[in-house]
Amino acid sequence: MRSDNSLSAWLQTTTGIVVVLLIVQFLTGVLLAFYYVPSVDHAYTTVSYIEKVVSSGSWIRSLHHYGSQWLTVFVFIHLIRLFLDRAYSANRIQWIVAILLLGLVMAAGGTGYSLPWDARAFFSTRVAEGLMAGLPVAGGMARLWLLGGSEISGVTLSRFFALHVLVIPAVIGAVVVWRMFRAQIVEFVGPRDAIVGALVFLALALWALKHPAPFGPSVAEAGADYLPRPGAQFLWLYQSLKYIPGGLGSIVGVVLPGIVLAVLVALPWLKRQRLIAGSLLGAGVVLVVIMTTVSYLSDRRDPRTAQQFARQAAAEEAWRHQPFNPATITLATNTTNATASGGAPVMYTKFCANCHGAQGQGAQQGPLKFPPLLEVSAKPRRSVDDIVSLLKDPAAYGLQPPMRSFADKLTEEQMREIAEWIVKLRK
Amino acid sequence: MTLETSRRSFLKFLPLAAVFASIGGAAFRFLRPKLSAATNAWLDVASVSELSGPQPISRKIVAEQITGWAITTEEHNVFVLPAKNNQVVSAICPHEGCEVAWEQNRNRFSCPCHESYFAADGSRISGPAQRGLDALPARVQDGKLQVQYISKEQATRA
Repeated sequence: MRSDNSLSAWLQTTTGIVVVLLIVQFLTGVLLAFYYVPSVDHAYTTVSYIEKVVSSGSWIRSLHHYGSQWLTVFVFIHLIRLFLDRAYSANRIQWIVAILLLGLVMAAGGTGYSLPWDARAFFSTRVAEGLMAGLPVAGGMARLWLLGGSEISGVTLSRFFALHVLVIPAVIGAVVVWRMFRAQIVEFVGPRDAIVGALVFLALALWALKHPAPFGPSVAEAGADYLPRPGAQFLWLYQSLKYIPGGLGSIVGVVLPGIVLAVLVALPWLKRQRLIAGSLLGAGVVLVVIMTTVSYLSDRRDPRTAQQFARQAAAEEAWRHQPFNPATITLATNTTNATASGGAPVMYTKFCANCHGAQGQGAQQGPLKFPPLLEVSAKPRRSVDDIVSLLKDPAAYGLQPPMRSFADKLTEEQMREIAEWIVKLRK
Repeated sequence: MTLETSRRSFLKFLPLAAVFASIGGAAFRFLRPKLSAATNAWLDVASVSELSGPQPISRKIVAEQITGWAITTEEHNVFVLPAKNNQVVSAICPHEGCEVAWEQNRNRFSCPCHESYFAADGSRISGPAQRGLDALPARVQDGKLQVQYISKEQATRA
Protein backbone atom coordinates (compact mmCIF):
# COMPACT_ATOMS: atom_id res chain seq x y z
CA MET A 1 0.00 0.00 0.00
CA ARG A 2 0.86 3.63 -0.25
CA SER A 3 3.66 4.83 1.97
CA ASP A 4 3.38 8.26 3.53
CA ASN A 5 7.09 8.84 3.61
CA SER A 6 6.98 12.00 1.58
CA LEU A 7 9.54 11.51 -1.21
CA SER A 8 8.61 7.94 -1.99
CA ALA A 9 4.93 8.92 -1.82
CA TRP A 10 5.49 11.51 -4.55
CA LEU A 11 7.29 8.92 -6.64
CA GLN A 12 4.18 6.74 -6.43
CA THR A 13 2.11 9.25 -8.38
CA THR A 14 2.78 7.75 -11.82
CA THR A 15 -0.70 6.20 -11.61
CA GLY A 16 -2.24 9.64 -11.28
CA ILE A 17 -0.30 10.97 -14.27
CA VAL A 18 -1.30 8.03 -16.43
CA VAL A 19 -4.95 8.40 -15.40
CA VAL A 20 -4.99 12.15 -16.12
CA LEU A 21 -3.30 11.70 -19.51
CA LEU A 22 -5.70 8.87 -20.41
CA ILE A 23 -8.64 11.12 -19.59
CA VAL A 24 -7.11 13.93 -21.67
CA GLN A 25 -6.73 11.53 -24.61
CA PHE A 26 -10.34 10.39 -24.31
CA LEU A 27 -11.76 13.89 -24.02
CA THR A 28 -9.71 15.44 -26.82
CA GLY A 29 -10.33 12.37 -29.00
CA VAL A 30 -14.08 12.69 -28.56
CA LEU A 31 -13.85 16.39 -29.42
CA LEU A 32 -11.81 15.75 -32.58
CA ALA A 33 -14.39 13.19 -33.70
CA PHE A 34 -16.97 15.99 -33.83
CA TYR A 35 -15.25 17.38 -36.94
CA TYR A 36 -13.01 14.65 -38.32
CA VAL A 37 -14.35 12.62 -41.24
CA PRO A 38 -12.60 9.26 -41.82
CA SER A 39 -12.73 9.24 -45.60
CA VAL A 40 -9.85 9.63 -48.02
CA ASP A 41 -11.48 12.60 -49.70
CA HIS A 42 -12.32 14.52 -46.53
CA ALA A 43 -9.86 13.48 -43.78
CA TYR A 44 -7.19 16.00 -44.82
CA THR A 45 -9.75 18.77 -45.28
CA THR A 46 -11.42 18.20 -41.92
CA VAL A 47 -8.09 18.11 -40.06
CA SER A 48 -7.13 21.37 -41.81
CA TYR A 49 -10.48 22.76 -40.72
CA ILE A 50 -9.80 21.76 -37.10
CA GLU A 51 -6.34 23.35 -37.30
CA LYS A 52 -7.33 26.58 -39.00
CA VAL A 53 -10.97 27.38 -38.39
CA VAL A 54 -12.33 25.71 -35.25
CA SER A 55 -11.78 27.67 -32.03
CA SER A 56 -9.10 25.99 -29.88
CA GLY A 57 -8.92 23.32 -32.58
CA SER A 58 -5.18 23.50 -32.97
CA TRP A 59 -4.70 23.26 -29.20
CA ILE A 60 -7.09 20.32 -28.81
CA ARG A 61 -5.39 18.44 -31.64
CA SER A 62 -1.96 19.24 -30.25
CA LEU A 63 -3.01 18.01 -26.79
CA HIS A 64 -4.13 14.76 -28.40
CA HIS A 65 -0.99 14.41 -30.53
CA TYR A 66 1.62 15.16 -27.86
CA GLY A 67 -0.58 13.66 -25.15
CA SER A 68 -0.28 10.29 -26.87
CA GLN A 69 3.51 10.56 -26.78
CA TRP A 70 3.62 11.70 -23.16
CA LEU A 71 1.19 8.95 -22.23
CA THR A 72 3.48 6.33 -23.73
CA VAL A 73 6.44 7.71 -21.81
CA PHE A 74 4.55 7.86 -18.49
CA VAL A 75 3.04 4.39 -18.88
CA PHE A 76 6.59 3.16 -19.38
CA ILE A 77 7.87 5.07 -16.33
CA HIS A 78 4.89 3.70 -14.40
CA LEU A 79 5.94 0.21 -15.44
CA ILE A 80 9.50 0.79 -14.27
CA ARG A 81 8.17 2.11 -10.94
CA LEU A 82 6.01 -1.01 -10.53
CA PHE A 83 9.03 -3.14 -11.34
CA LEU A 84 11.11 -1.41 -8.67
CA ASP A 85 8.21 -1.93 -6.22
CA ARG A 86 8.05 -5.63 -7.17
CA ALA A 87 4.41 -5.16 -8.05
CA TYR A 88 4.54 -8.26 -10.28
CA SER A 89 4.40 -10.40 -7.17
CA ALA A 90 2.69 -7.99 -4.76
CA ASN A 91 -0.10 -6.77 -7.05
CA ARG A 92 -0.40 -8.91 -10.15
CA ILE A 93 -3.36 -7.11 -11.63
CA GLN A 94 -1.70 -3.71 -11.36
CA TRP A 95 1.35 -5.16 -13.12
CA ILE A 96 -0.57 -6.85 -15.93
CA VAL A 97 -2.76 -3.78 -16.47
CA ALA A 98 0.32 -1.58 -16.85
CA ILE A 99 1.82 -3.86 -19.51
CA LEU A 100 -1.45 -4.17 -21.40
CA LEU A 101 -1.79 -0.39 -21.26
CA LEU A 102 1.67 0.06 -22.75
CA GLY A 103 0.79 -2.17 -25.71
CA LEU A 104 -2.63 -0.55 -26.18
CA VAL A 105 -1.30 2.99 -25.97
CA MET A 106 1.35 2.17 -28.58
CA ALA A 107 -1.32 0.61 -30.80
CA ALA A 108 -3.50 3.70 -30.40
CA GLY A 109 -0.55 5.93 -31.33
CA GLY A 110 0.27 3.83 -34.39
CA THR A 111 -3.27 3.75 -35.74
CA GLY A 112 -3.93 7.40 -34.91
CA TYR A 113 -0.95 8.55 -36.95
CA SER A 114 -2.68 7.46 -40.16
CA LEU A 115 -5.89 9.35 -39.59
CA PRO A 116 -4.99 12.89 -40.81
CA TRP A 117 -4.15 11.30 -44.19
CA ASP A 118 -1.35 13.77 -44.83
CA ALA A 119 2.04 12.76 -46.21
CA ARG A 120 3.22 11.65 -42.73
CA ALA A 121 0.14 9.50 -42.34
CA PHE A 122 0.67 8.04 -45.78
CA PHE A 123 4.22 6.96 -45.01
CA SER A 124 3.26 5.73 -41.55
CA THR A 125 0.50 3.60 -43.09
CA ARG A 126 3.02 2.27 -45.61
CA VAL A 127 5.41 1.28 -42.81
CA ALA A 128 2.61 -0.42 -40.86
CA GLU A 129 1.75 -2.27 -44.06
CA GLY A 130 5.38 -3.34 -44.50
CA LEU A 131 5.71 -4.46 -40.88
CA MET A 132 2.60 -6.62 -41.23
CA ALA A 133 3.70 -8.02 -44.58
CA GLY A 134 7.09 -9.02 -43.14
CA LEU A 135 5.62 -11.11 -40.34
CA PRO A 136 6.59 -14.76 -40.54
CA VAL A 137 4.04 -17.27 -41.85
CA ALA A 138 0.92 -15.09 -41.72
CA GLY A 139 2.49 -11.85 -43.03
CA GLY A 140 0.59 -11.71 -46.30
CA MET A 141 -2.68 -12.43 -44.55
CA ALA A 142 -1.96 -9.91 -41.76
CA ARG A 143 -1.26 -7.23 -44.35
CA LEU A 144 -4.51 -7.92 -46.22
CA TRP A 145 -6.50 -7.81 -42.97
CA LEU A 146 -4.89 -4.56 -41.89
CA LEU A 147 -5.45 -2.88 -45.26
CA GLY A 148 -8.85 -4.40 -45.86
CA GLY A 149 -7.75 -5.20 -49.41
CA SER A 150 -4.71 -5.63 -51.56
CA GLU A 151 -3.79 -1.93 -51.55
CA ILE A 152 -4.01 1.05 -49.18
CA SER A 153 -7.41 2.57 -49.82
CA GLY A 154 -10.38 4.23 -48.19
CA VAL A 155 -11.12 0.88 -46.55
CA THR A 156 -7.69 1.04 -44.84
CA LEU A 157 -8.41 4.47 -43.41
CA SER A 158 -11.77 3.24 -42.08
CA ARG A 159 -10.03 0.27 -40.42
CA PHE A 160 -7.41 2.44 -38.73
CA PHE A 161 -10.21 4.77 -37.65
CA ALA A 162 -12.33 1.94 -36.20
CA LEU A 163 -9.33 0.49 -34.37
CA HIS A 164 -8.21 3.87 -33.07
CA VAL A 165 -11.59 5.27 -32.07
CA LEU A 166 -13.69 2.24 -31.15
CA VAL A 167 -11.70 -0.94 -30.54
CA ILE A 168 -8.57 0.24 -28.71
CA PRO A 169 -10.32 2.79 -26.44
CA ALA A 170 -12.92 0.15 -25.53
CA VAL A 171 -10.20 -2.32 -24.56
CA ILE A 172 -8.33 0.39 -22.62
CA GLY A 173 -11.58 1.24 -20.84
CA ALA A 174 -12.17 -2.41 -19.99
CA VAL A 175 -8.62 -2.80 -18.65
CA VAL A 176 -8.91 0.34 -16.53
CA VAL A 177 -12.31 -0.71 -15.16
CA TRP A 178 -10.88 -4.11 -14.30
CA ARG A 179 -8.08 -2.39 -12.42
CA MET A 180 -10.45 -0.02 -10.62
CA PHE A 181 -12.67 -2.83 -9.34
CA ARG A 182 -9.61 -4.24 -7.67
CA ALA A 183 -8.65 -1.04 -5.92
CA GLN A 184 -10.45 1.59 -3.96
CA ILE A 185 -10.90 4.65 -6.13
CA VAL A 186 -9.48 6.89 -3.40
CA GLU A 187 -6.39 4.75 -3.22
CA PHE A 188 -6.28 4.71 -7.02
CA VAL A 189 -6.09 8.48 -7.34
CA GLY A 190 -4.95 10.05 -4.10
CA PRO A 191 -4.39 13.75 -3.44
CA ARG A 192 -0.76 13.57 -4.53
CA ASP A 193 -1.81 11.89 -7.79
CA ALA A 194 -4.27 14.71 -8.39
CA ILE A 195 -1.60 17.37 -7.88
CA VAL A 196 1.05 15.68 -10.00
CA GLY A 197 -1.48 14.70 -12.67
CA ALA A 198 -2.66 18.29 -12.90
CA LEU A 199 0.93 19.57 -13.08
CA VAL A 200 1.74 17.20 -15.94
CA PHE A 201 -1.43 18.33 -17.69
CA LEU A 202 -0.41 21.96 -17.19
CA ALA A 203 2.96 21.22 -18.79
CA LEU A 204 1.28 19.41 -21.69
CA ALA A 205 -1.26 22.21 -22.10
CA LEU A 206 1.48 24.86 -22.32
CA TRP A 207 3.53 22.71 -24.67
CA ALA A 208 0.50 22.20 -26.91
CA LEU A 209 -0.19 25.95 -26.91
CA LYS A 210 3.33 26.61 -28.15
CA HIS A 211 3.60 23.66 -30.54
CA PRO A 212 0.70 22.84 -32.82
CA ALA A 213 0.57 19.16 -33.79
CA PRO A 214 2.53 18.59 -36.98
CA PHE A 215 0.52 18.33 -40.17
CA GLY A 216 2.36 17.45 -43.35
CA PRO A 217 1.47 18.33 -46.91
CA SER A 218 -1.07 16.25 -48.74
CA VAL A 219 0.47 13.29 -50.54
CA ALA A 220 -0.01 14.97 -53.91
CA GLU A 221 1.80 18.08 -52.75
CA ALA A 222 4.65 16.27 -50.99
CA GLY A 223 7.69 16.26 -53.25
CA ALA A 224 10.00 13.30 -53.68
CA ASP A 225 12.35 14.93 -51.18
CA TYR A 226 9.72 14.96 -48.41
CA LEU A 227 11.11 13.40 -45.22
CA PRO A 228 8.51 11.81 -42.98
CA ARG A 229 9.16 11.03 -39.32
CA PRO A 230 7.03 9.00 -36.94
CA GLY A 231 5.79 10.28 -33.58
CA ALA A 232 8.39 10.45 -30.81
CA GLN A 233 7.19 7.19 -29.23
CA PHE A 234 8.09 5.32 -32.42
CA LEU A 235 11.43 6.94 -33.23
CA TRP A 236 13.28 3.96 -31.71
CA LEU A 237 11.47 1.63 -34.12
CA TYR A 238 12.02 3.96 -37.06
CA GLN A 239 15.74 4.18 -36.32
CA SER A 240 16.10 0.42 -35.70
CA LEU A 241 14.50 -0.36 -39.06
CA LYS A 242 17.43 1.42 -40.73
CA TYR A 243 19.84 -1.20 -39.40
CA ILE A 244 17.77 -4.31 -39.89
CA PRO A 245 17.86 -6.02 -43.25
CA GLY A 246 14.56 -6.20 -45.12
CA GLY A 247 12.12 -8.76 -43.81
CA LEU A 248 13.57 -8.90 -40.30
CA GLY A 249 12.05 -5.50 -39.53
CA SER A 250 8.74 -7.11 -38.68
CA ILE A 251 10.47 -9.40 -36.19
CA VAL A 252 12.04 -6.48 -34.34
CA GLY A 253 9.11 -4.13 -34.73
CA VAL A 254 6.19 -6.45 -34.04
CA VAL A 255 7.12 -9.98 -32.98
CA LEU A 256 9.80 -9.14 -30.39
CA PRO A 257 7.82 -6.42 -28.62
CA GLY A 258 4.84 -8.78 -28.63
CA ILE A 259 6.85 -11.57 -27.02
CA VAL A 260 8.34 -9.16 -24.47
CA LEU A 261 4.88 -7.90 -23.50
CA ALA A 262 3.54 -11.46 -23.29
CA VAL A 263 6.41 -12.55 -21.03
CA LEU A 264 5.90 -9.49 -18.83
CA VAL A 265 2.17 -10.20 -18.56
CA ALA A 266 2.97 -13.78 -17.53
CA LEU A 267 5.63 -12.63 -15.09
CA PRO A 268 3.57 -13.08 -11.89
CA TRP A 269 3.52 -16.83 -12.60
CA LEU A 270 7.17 -17.15 -13.59
CA LYS A 271 10.25 -17.82 -11.52
CA ARG A 272 13.26 -15.48 -11.42
CA GLN A 273 10.92 -12.54 -11.87
CA ARG A 274 13.48 -9.91 -10.94
CA LEU A 275 15.98 -11.21 -13.48
CA ILE A 276 13.55 -11.64 -16.38
CA ALA A 277 11.70 -8.35 -15.98
CA GLY A 278 14.88 -6.49 -15.12
CA SER A 279 16.73 -7.63 -18.21
CA LEU A 280 13.74 -7.14 -20.55
CA LEU A 281 12.92 -3.68 -19.23
CA GLY A 282 16.61 -2.77 -19.03
CA ALA A 283 17.20 -3.86 -22.62
CA GLY A 284 14.06 -1.99 -23.64
CA VAL A 285 15.16 1.21 -21.98
CA VAL A 286 18.64 0.95 -23.48
CA LEU A 287 17.29 0.22 -26.97
CA VAL A 288 14.68 2.98 -26.86
CA VAL A 289 16.96 5.62 -25.38
CA ILE A 290 19.88 4.87 -27.69
CA MET A 291 17.83 4.55 -30.86
CA THR A 292 15.77 7.67 -30.12
CA THR A 293 18.94 9.65 -29.38
CA VAL A 294 20.67 8.37 -32.51
CA SER A 295 17.62 9.25 -34.56
CA TYR A 296 17.60 12.83 -33.24
CA LEU A 297 21.35 13.18 -33.68
CA SER A 298 21.48 11.81 -37.21
CA ASP A 299 18.69 14.16 -38.28
CA ARG A 300 20.45 17.05 -36.56
CA ARG A 301 23.94 16.33 -37.91
CA ASP A 302 23.28 15.72 -41.59
CA PRO A 303 23.10 19.22 -43.08
CA ARG A 304 20.95 18.15 -46.04
CA THR A 305 18.42 16.48 -43.76
CA ALA A 306 18.43 19.48 -41.46
CA GLN A 307 17.84 21.78 -44.44
CA GLN A 308 15.00 19.64 -45.70
CA PHE A 309 13.36 19.68 -42.26
CA ALA A 310 13.76 23.46 -42.17
CA ARG A 311 12.05 23.66 -45.58
CA GLN A 312 9.25 21.40 -44.40
CA ALA A 313 8.80 23.40 -41.23
CA ALA A 314 8.68 26.61 -43.27
CA ALA A 315 6.15 25.08 -45.65
CA GLU A 316 4.00 23.96 -42.74
CA GLU A 317 4.22 27.40 -41.17
CA ALA A 318 3.23 29.00 -44.49
CA TRP A 319 0.35 26.53 -44.80
CA ARG A 320 -0.91 27.61 -41.37
CA HIS A 321 -1.17 31.17 -42.61
CA GLN A 322 -3.04 30.32 -45.79
CA PRO A 323 -6.83 30.56 -45.60
CA PHE A 324 -8.75 27.33 -45.17
CA ASN A 325 -9.61 25.73 -48.51
CA PRO A 326 -13.03 24.07 -48.24
CA ALA A 327 -14.03 20.88 -50.01
CA THR A 328 -17.00 20.78 -52.35
CA ILE A 329 -19.84 18.42 -51.60
CA THR A 330 -23.06 18.00 -53.50
CA LEU A 331 -26.36 17.39 -51.73
CA ALA A 332 -29.48 15.99 -53.37
CA THR A 333 -28.54 17.19 -56.80
CA ASN A 334 -30.03 15.60 -59.84
CA THR A 335 -28.42 17.70 -62.51
CA THR A 336 -30.09 16.14 -65.52
CA ASN A 337 -32.47 19.06 -65.96
CA ALA A 338 -30.95 21.60 -63.65
CA THR A 339 -29.64 24.92 -64.75
CA ALA A 340 -26.26 24.93 -63.13
CA SER A 341 -25.01 27.81 -61.04
CA GLY A 342 -22.76 30.47 -62.43
CA GLY A 343 -23.52 29.44 -65.98
CA ALA A 344 -21.56 26.19 -65.79
CA PRO A 345 -22.86 23.71 -68.38
CA VAL A 346 -25.08 21.06 -66.85
CA MET A 347 -22.76 18.28 -67.97
CA TYR A 348 -19.79 20.09 -66.42
CA THR A 349 -21.61 20.17 -63.08
CA LYS A 350 -22.48 16.51 -63.44
CA PHE A 351 -19.13 15.08 -64.50
CA CYS A 352 -16.41 17.64 -63.80
CA ALA A 353 -17.44 19.81 -60.84
CA ASN A 354 -16.86 17.17 -58.19
CA CYS A 355 -13.14 17.25 -58.83
CA HIS A 356 -12.47 20.58 -60.54
CA GLY A 357 -14.92 22.61 -58.44
CA ALA A 358 -18.32 24.03 -59.33
CA GLN A 359 -16.64 27.10 -60.83
CA GLY A 360 -13.45 25.42 -62.03
CA GLN A 361 -11.58 26.47 -58.90
CA GLY A 362 -10.01 23.04 -58.44
CA ALA A 363 -10.19 20.93 -55.31
CA GLN A 364 -8.21 18.96 -52.85
CA GLN A 365 -9.50 15.53 -51.91
CA GLY A 366 -7.19 13.95 -49.37
CA PRO A 367 -3.96 13.12 -51.13
CA LEU A 368 -5.42 13.91 -54.55
CA LYS A 369 -5.13 17.44 -55.83
CA PHE A 370 -7.36 18.38 -58.72
CA PRO A 371 -6.02 21.26 -60.77
CA PRO A 372 -8.04 24.43 -61.10
CA LEU A 373 -9.24 25.21 -64.62
CA LEU A 374 -9.08 28.98 -64.18
CA GLU A 375 -6.90 30.67 -66.81
CA VAL A 376 -6.28 27.26 -68.34
CA SER A 377 -6.65 28.66 -71.86
CA ALA A 378 -3.43 30.61 -71.28
CA LYS A 379 -1.54 27.31 -71.21
CA PRO A 380 -0.27 25.58 -74.34
CA ARG A 381 -2.53 22.98 -75.99
CA ARG A 382 -5.66 24.13 -74.20
CA SER A 383 -7.78 25.65 -76.97
CA VAL A 384 -11.45 24.67 -77.25
CA ASP A 385 -10.51 22.00 -79.80
CA ASP A 386 -7.71 20.76 -77.56
CA ILE A 387 -10.00 20.48 -74.55
CA VAL A 388 -12.55 18.54 -76.59
CA SER A 389 -9.85 16.07 -77.69
CA LEU A 390 -8.46 16.00 -74.17
CA LEU A 391 -11.86 15.01 -72.81
CA LYS A 392 -11.87 12.08 -75.26
CA ASP A 393 -8.27 11.00 -74.63
CA PRO A 394 -6.62 12.60 -71.56
CA ALA A 395 -3.55 10.37 -71.80
CA ALA A 396 -2.67 11.91 -75.16
CA TYR A 397 -2.38 15.23 -73.30
CA GLY A 398 -0.14 13.79 -70.63
CA LEU A 399 -2.89 13.64 -68.01
CA GLN A 400 -3.06 10.78 -65.58
CA PRO A 401 -5.88 9.08 -63.71
CA PRO A 402 -8.17 9.92 -61.99
CA MET A 403 -8.75 12.11 -65.08
CA ARG A 404 -10.42 9.76 -67.50
CA SER A 405 -11.89 9.78 -70.96
CA PHE A 406 -15.44 11.06 -71.31
CA ALA A 407 -15.79 9.88 -74.93
CA ASP A 408 -18.52 7.43 -73.92
CA LYS A 409 -20.23 9.79 -71.46
CA LEU A 410 -20.55 13.04 -73.37
CA THR A 411 -21.60 13.90 -76.88
CA GLU A 412 -19.32 16.00 -79.09
CA GLU A 413 -21.70 18.91 -78.59
CA GLN A 414 -21.66 18.60 -74.79
CA MET A 415 -17.85 18.44 -74.74
CA ARG A 416 -17.69 21.55 -76.89
CA GLU A 417 -20.10 23.34 -74.58
CA ILE A 418 -17.91 22.44 -71.58
CA ALA A 419 -14.71 23.45 -73.39
CA GLU A 420 -16.14 26.79 -74.48
CA TRP A 421 -17.17 27.52 -70.91
CA ILE A 422 -13.81 26.42 -69.46
CA VAL A 423 -11.66 28.62 -71.71
CA LYS A 424 -13.56 31.66 -70.43
CA LEU A 425 -12.80 30.93 -66.77
CA ARG A 426 -10.75 33.66 -65.09
CA LYS A 427 -9.37 33.98 -61.62
CA MET B 1 -18.03 12.47 7.64
CA THR B 2 -17.05 15.62 9.49
CA LEU B 3 -16.94 19.03 7.87
CA GLU B 4 -13.17 18.98 8.06
CA THR B 5 -12.73 15.68 6.19
CA SER B 6 -15.24 16.59 3.50
CA ARG B 7 -13.45 19.89 2.93
CA ARG B 8 -10.17 18.04 2.63
CA SER B 9 -11.54 15.46 0.23
CA PHE B 10 -12.89 18.30 -1.92
CA LEU B 11 -9.53 20.10 -1.94
CA LYS B 12 -7.86 16.82 -2.81
CA PHE B 13 -9.46 16.80 -6.25
CA LEU B 14 -9.25 20.52 -6.92
CA PRO B 15 -6.25 20.11 -9.27
CA LEU B 16 -8.20 17.57 -11.33
CA ALA B 17 -11.18 19.93 -11.43
CA ALA B 18 -8.84 22.55 -12.91
CA VAL B 19 -7.78 20.09 -15.65
CA PHE B 20 -11.39 19.38 -16.57
CA ALA B 21 -12.33 23.05 -16.42
CA SER B 22 -9.62 24.04 -18.90
CA ILE B 23 -10.53 21.29 -21.36
CA GLY B 24 -14.22 22.02 -20.79
CA GLY B 25 -13.79 25.69 -21.59
CA ALA B 26 -11.94 24.88 -24.79
CA ALA B 27 -14.55 22.22 -25.60
CA PHE B 28 -17.30 24.82 -25.49
CA ARG B 29 -15.46 27.04 -27.97
CA PHE B 30 -14.47 24.02 -30.04
CA LEU B 31 -18.02 22.74 -30.43
CA ARG B 32 -19.69 26.12 -30.90
CA PRO B 33 -21.63 26.02 -34.20
CA LYS B 34 -20.49 28.14 -37.11
CA LEU B 35 -23.12 29.90 -39.18
CA SER B 36 -23.22 28.99 -42.85
CA ALA B 37 -22.23 31.69 -45.25
CA ALA B 38 -24.33 31.85 -48.41
CA THR B 39 -22.31 32.86 -51.43
CA ASN B 40 -25.07 35.25 -52.62
CA ALA B 41 -24.31 34.32 -56.20
CA TRP B 42 -26.84 35.12 -58.90
CA LEU B 43 -28.06 31.79 -60.22
CA ASP B 44 -29.50 31.30 -63.71
CA VAL B 45 -33.11 30.15 -63.69
CA ALA B 46 -34.12 30.36 -67.33
CA SER B 47 -33.99 32.51 -70.44
CA VAL B 48 -36.67 35.16 -70.22
CA SER B 49 -37.83 34.21 -73.71
CA GLU B 50 -38.83 30.73 -72.53
CA LEU B 51 -41.13 32.08 -69.86
CA SER B 52 -44.76 32.70 -70.72
CA GLY B 53 -48.27 31.46 -70.01
CA PRO B 54 -50.52 31.49 -66.96
CA GLN B 55 -48.96 28.45 -65.23
CA PRO B 56 -46.11 28.50 -62.72
CA ILE B 57 -43.00 26.97 -64.34
CA SER B 58 -40.88 24.58 -62.31
CA ARG B 59 -37.11 25.13 -62.47
CA LYS B 60 -34.10 23.90 -60.50
CA ILE B 61 -31.26 26.02 -59.26
CA VAL B 62 -27.98 24.83 -57.80
CA ALA B 63 -26.93 27.00 -54.86
CA GLU B 64 -23.64 26.94 -53.03
CA GLN B 65 -23.07 27.76 -49.41
CA ILE B 66 -20.06 27.47 -47.18
CA THR B 67 -21.05 25.00 -44.48
CA GLY B 68 -18.38 23.92 -42.01
CA TRP B 69 -15.42 22.53 -43.91
CA ALA B 70 -17.12 22.32 -47.29
CA ILE B 71 -18.75 24.35 -49.99
CA THR B 72 -22.04 22.53 -50.18
CA THR B 73 -23.77 22.47 -53.53
CA GLU B 74 -27.46 21.79 -53.22
CA GLU B 75 -30.23 21.70 -55.75
CA HIS B 76 -33.41 23.58 -54.99
CA ASN B 77 -36.76 23.65 -56.76
CA VAL B 78 -38.21 27.04 -57.57
CA PHE B 79 -41.26 28.20 -59.48
CA VAL B 80 -41.25 31.06 -61.97
CA LEU B 81 -44.59 32.89 -62.10
CA PRO B 82 -44.85 34.37 -65.61
CA ALA B 83 -48.30 35.72 -64.70
CA LYS B 84 -46.71 37.74 -61.90
CA ASN B 85 -43.98 39.49 -63.89
CA ASN B 86 -41.67 36.46 -63.66
CA GLN B 87 -41.48 36.51 -59.89
CA VAL B 88 -39.56 33.47 -58.61
CA VAL B 89 -40.77 31.69 -55.46
CA SER B 90 -39.05 28.96 -53.49
CA ALA B 91 -40.74 25.56 -53.52
CA ILE B 92 -40.00 25.17 -49.82
CA CYS B 93 -43.17 25.32 -47.74
CA PRO B 94 -42.73 28.09 -45.14
CA HIS B 95 -44.43 25.86 -42.54
CA GLU B 96 -41.97 23.02 -41.88
CA GLY B 97 -39.87 22.99 -45.01
CA CYS B 98 -41.35 20.22 -47.19
CA GLU B 99 -41.45 20.83 -50.94
CA VAL B 100 -44.71 21.99 -52.44
CA ALA B 101 -45.99 20.65 -55.77
CA TRP B 102 -48.02 22.46 -58.39
CA GLU B 103 -51.46 20.93 -58.92
CA GLN B 104 -52.39 22.05 -62.37
CA ASN B 105 -55.98 20.78 -62.34
CA ARG B 106 -56.77 22.57 -59.08
CA ASN B 107 -54.67 25.62 -59.90
CA ARG B 108 -52.84 25.65 -56.57
CA PHE B 109 -49.63 24.63 -54.85
CA SER B 110 -50.06 21.92 -52.23
CA CYS B 111 -47.68 20.79 -49.54
CA PRO B 112 -47.51 17.00 -49.17
CA CYS B 113 -46.69 17.12 -45.46
CA HIS B 114 -49.32 19.12 -43.56
CA GLU B 115 -51.80 20.24 -46.21
CA SER B 116 -50.88 23.86 -46.64
CA TYR B 117 -52.22 25.32 -49.90
CA PHE B 118 -51.01 28.29 -51.91
CA ALA B 119 -52.54 30.13 -54.85
CA ALA B 120 -50.95 30.39 -58.31
CA ASP B 121 -49.37 33.70 -57.26
CA GLY B 122 -47.74 32.00 -54.23
CA SER B 123 -50.02 33.55 -51.61
CA ARG B 124 -51.33 31.43 -48.76
CA ILE B 125 -54.80 29.89 -49.13
CA SER B 126 -55.13 27.62 -46.11
CA GLY B 127 -53.31 25.23 -43.81
CA PRO B 128 -50.75 25.58 -41.04
CA ALA B 129 -48.30 27.71 -43.05
CA GLN B 130 -48.30 31.29 -41.75
CA ARG B 131 -47.27 33.04 -44.95
CA GLY B 132 -47.18 32.56 -48.71
CA LEU B 133 -44.31 30.96 -50.62
CA ASP B 134 -41.08 32.91 -50.18
CA ALA B 135 -40.15 35.13 -53.13
CA LEU B 136 -36.45 35.08 -54.09
CA PRO B 137 -34.53 38.22 -55.11
CA ALA B 138 -34.50 38.17 -58.90
CA ARG B 139 -33.05 40.14 -61.79
CA VAL B 140 -32.68 39.84 -65.55
CA GLN B 141 -29.16 39.82 -66.92
CA ASP B 142 -28.38 39.34 -70.63
CA GLY B 143 -31.82 37.91 -71.24
CA LYS B 144 -31.47 35.40 -68.38
CA LEU B 145 -33.67 35.40 -65.33
CA GLN B 146 -31.43 35.03 -62.27
CA VAL B 147 -32.16 34.63 -58.55
CA GLN B 148 -30.33 34.53 -55.25
CA TYR B 149 -31.22 31.55 -53.13
CA ILE B 150 -32.72 32.22 -49.70
CA SER B 151 -33.49 29.41 -47.28
CA LYS B 152 -36.75 29.18 -45.37
CA GLU B 153 -34.93 30.08 -42.14
CA GLN B 154 -33.39 33.18 -43.71
CA ALA B 155 -36.80 34.22 -45.04
CA THR B 156 -38.38 33.63 -41.62
CA ARG B 157 -35.77 35.79 -39.87
CA ALA B 158 -36.01 38.57 -42.44
